[in-house]
Amino acid sequence: MGERTVRALGLVAALSYATFIAWLYVRQPQSIAEVTGGLSASIGAYHIDQQAFDDGLRFFRRDQFEEARAALARADPAQQDARTEFYLAYSYYRQGWGRLYQDDRLFARGLEHVKKAIALAPSGRLVVDDPDLQMRSADELKAELEAGLHADVSDLNPLRVFGHRK
Amino acid sequence: MSPTREAVSLPALLLTVAWLGGVRVTDRIGLVPPPLFALVLGLLLLGVLIKSGALAPDRLMHPSRSALANVNGLVVIAATFFASVQAFNLITPDAGLPHLLCNLFLFVLLLNTLAASPDRVRVLRSLLVIFGFAFVMKFIVLAALSDPAGGTLKRVLLVMLEGLTLGTLTQSPFHASTGYLAFFTIVIFMIALALLPSDGKFLMAKFVPRLERSRADDGDVIDRAEGR
Repeated sequence: MGERTVRALGLVAALSYATFIAWLYVRQPQSIAEVTGGLSASIGAYHIDQQAFDDGLRFFRRDQFEEARAALARADPAQQDARTEFYLAYSYYRQGWGRLYQDDRLFARGLEHVKKAIALAPSGRLVVDDPDLQMRSADELKAELEAGLHADVSDLNPLRVFGHRK
Repeated sequence: MSPTREAVSLPALLLTVAWLGGVRVTDRIGLVPPPLFALVLGLLLLGVLIKSGALAPDRLMHPSRSALANVNGLVVIAATFFASVQAFNLITPDAGLPHLLCNLFLFVLLLNTLAASPDRVRVLRSLLVIFGFAFVMKFIVLAALSDPAGGTLKRVLLVMLEGLTLGTLTQSPFHASTGYLAFFTIVIFMIALALLPSDGKFLMAKFVPRLERSRADDGDVIDRAEGR
């Protein structure tokens, strides 16, 4: 192989490797599935498992949240789909909601997922057209989860027991 | 230097260091970007490497070279800088008094090395000692002190550090694999530094006087043999 070819190939390889490293530092993937999914999403070739997503949605509507999350995680192993992240967040919200108190641990997990959904959505705007949901935008869900995590005197209001889950 | 080393091997090794230098394995795998001070230390190390002749920028970028070769050279210089930054990010404790002391120690040490202007071999030996010492401090001594489970080394260190508040020394505990990965990264970094194109001046300064002495000795031997 000629010197010029070696230099050109080396340059392309080094620049690609450096770009990949920068991408890893920005996205912080936690598994090989997230790495491959993230890379394919960056070129628009990533698709969720629709069957698993539909299963997850069915479980979610029946209030079987653990099952719903398992199916949704299977549908989007690379965590690259904003809609799936939104439903995951919503499942934590519905499971953690209570008349007397909210489950902070579940709300915090929900907040993580909704933030991820917002980050993945184009321009950060995500609206899910689902008549079963009372909060259809990621911004509403995020505000609700943050309000649930925030402790103030309104938490002592006895009228809270008449509140309803969205 | 061969084009393969300049365009392929060196960028691959140095960029690998730039990648692995930020890896921290806890309950999850985190990639830690370098703190600002690591950039300062990285720049100082680049200065030390150039001044000592361990890195000769004119062998990487020069008007007599082709444009493509110069771009390859620029990639090597940039990769050396980023690898240095991440190597310092790796060996510096993350928080508390050890973080402050280690940064101060490295800063003064690099300034001192810059002022002393040692040759390439001495700089590489010195860097091996610096990185080896910092590795032992962070991944063996401080890791043992920060280990919630404790162990023989922790008990020994606690006896030695009797009276000292450990809150100022302890770090967030890592998974054991972080230490192995760090060791591997430092080894790659040292190999990459040794492979950098060096300035030939230090070789001339070291070997030419010896060669001249040797020639003079040979001349004496010939003169004696010929009875002059």
